Amino acid sequence: MAATAERALGKATSRSGEHLLGIAALVALGVSAVLSLVVAPPDSVQGEVQRIMYVHVPAAWLAYLSFFVVFIASIAYLKTRRTRWDRVAAASAEIGVLFTSLAIVLGMLWGKPVWGTWWTWDPRLTTTAVLLLIYIAYLAIRRITDNPSRRARWAAVIGIVGFIDVPIVHLSVVWWRSLHQGPTVFRLGGPEIGGTMLLALLVALAAFTITYAYLMTLRLRVGRLEERAAREALSPLVGAER
Amino acid sequence: MAPNAGYVIAAFLVTALALGGYTLRLFARARLAKRRVQTIADRRRDG
Repeated sequence: MAATAERALGKATSRSGEHLLGIAALVALGVSAVLSLVVAPPDSVQGEVQRIMYVHVPAAWLAYLSFFVVFIASIAYLKTRRTRWDRVAAASAEIGVLFTSLAIVLGMLWGKPVWGTWWTWDPRLTTTAVLLLIYIAYLAIRRITDNPSRRARWAAVIGIVGFIDVPIVHLSVVWWRSLHQGPTVFRLGGPEIGGTMLLALLVALAAFTITYAYLMTLRLRVGRLEERAAREALSPLVGAER
Repeated sequence: MAPNAGYVIAAFLVTALALGGYTLRLFARARLAKRRVQTIADRRRDG
């Protein structure tokens, strides 16, 4: 009885927490949009098109964060063999693919008016495209086998090995001659931008990070429900086999 | 309209559609999984 009440309470608390996180994400994204599109001044060189950076940079940051979570959760799964770590890694990989795709598309929308081309085989762009392919492969591998422990093991190996590309993407602008600009905010000697522009970028980074947290809670709930549905559907078959 | 404003509008629209679309897709997946669990439970109860 007490356990049932505790479970019900836990469920209610987590759902209300999820709703609160959703509202916080929506408000933060709204504030970020106003700061990015209205308050921040246009760039003296690039003009209005520089505003794309307020969505492109946070999307790229979340791609890094998502795949870092996949990396940590994959190590934790291989160490503990607990399903919850595999669920965390799968959820974060799916969200990471969304944000990597978004970062690439937003970069293309910025590149056309500034560089004069939608795409070029620049080291940053190429390594980011490779990153996207690695995590699409990660999600594809998860669909190959129905055996949950084999699926989790294979995915965890890709989640760990695939993460090698993240520092390569980040440092590509330092290691090779690149058309893509170098670090602007997190660099030795302090940020290259200041005032309202820096504020708009930092608020956008915070808003996207809250959105990531919300999407993770939602995606984890979906993962639990889908696993339960699969388990329930298979349980009479398992009984019949016995 | 400022030069290149179309690219900015497109970028913010793409972001809103991607985030909104993915959130709605997750809601739909949750609803579908819940319905599946409920259908199996109903079938079991009906024998």
